[in-house]
Amino acid sequence: MEPKSNALKILDWTAAALLVVATYLVFFYAPKELVMGNVQRVFYFHVATGWVGFLAFFLTVATGTLVIKDGRGNPRPWLIAGWTGLVVGFLAQGMYRSMDLDIMSWVSILAAMIGLYALVLGYGMRKGRDFQYWDIHSVSLVELGLVFSFINIASGAVWARPIWNTWWTWDPRLVTATIMELIYVAYLMLRAGIDNPVRRARFGAVYAILGFVTVPITFFSIRIWRSIHPVVFGAQNPGAEVDAGMTTGSMYFTFFFALFTFTVLFVDLYLNRIRLGKFAEEVEQLKMKSMI
Amino acid sequence: MLFQQIPSETTNYMILGYTIIFGTLGIYLFSLVSRRRNLEKDKEVLEKFQTREES
Repeated sequence: MEPKSNALKILDWTAAALLVVATYLVFFYAPKELVMGNVQRVFYFHVATGWVGFLAFFLTVATGTLVIKDGRGNPRPWLIAGWTGLVVGFLAQGMYRSMDLDIMSWVSILAAMIGLYALVLGYGMRKGRDFQYWDIHSVSLVELGLVFSFINIASGAVWARPIWNTWWTWDPRLVTATIMELIYVAYLMLRAGIDNPVRRARFGAVYAILGFVTVPITFFSIRIWRSIHPVVFGAQNPGAEVDAGMTTGSMYFTFFFALFTFTVLFVDLYLNRIRLGKFAEEVEQLKMKSMI
Repeated sequence: MLFQQIPSETTNYMILGYTIIFGTLGIYLFSLVSRRRNLEKDKEVLEKFQTREES
């Protein structure tokens, strides 16, 4: 295994330090919520882990596409589309805020997502790596997405027990999030059942791309259907008895700090997991050599 | 809602929530470290095997 780069070591320590600060903010800086009490503090990390779970599954679509394309293609149009998407997203967000056009909020999210997808594809093609390299990325992302989504679902159940008086209810958000988790668990099971590395990578990539359908369904479930799950961004669901309970500036600061922290932690774990994946590949090659 | 008092006493649930969050992260980190160690052991054995084969 090649030695860890200094940049990754710095990122490891930065992520750890940010996690300590975020934990301090959650317990000692953010005030106690007036109705729910201390359990509301679970929300800060609950939403943050949900966000990075979504992000991981979203990036799998791009790395999966790179697996299918074997990392080849002209990066230029993708990069142009990527930056255009991000600019359109930024402008649409501005229109949403200044003109109060609700539709622009969703246009900005969609444009930014397409932009990010195209950018990953463009920069990925520019790297000129083959499908094996991107397969390591895909499996690392799915693994991390599963870990963070599991934390999200489990911590949500703990919050629900005193607030909804039940650990679990057949609410659209809970059901769709669990289906999403199970779909990606099946991704790992599918991979485990295929010996041929080329077929494993291709099948996995197609499955991960198709499986992504569950992510927007999960995200929009509380906005489309009547749900008792609180909405943090946007209008509160009329069916929800309680909201996220964030009323003060310090609560919002803690919330956004936790989002940032978990994003950095995700990037750090992702890079470490890729390193492990490459090492596993190296050992696999050695095994093959010794068998010949 | 079923709160007996306002603010309700839900500290135990908060502790349980954060135990799950940090516990899961800890288990995942441990799995990364243990997988790396296992791979290092495998590599060592394979390299020994290879040098023996060559000699």
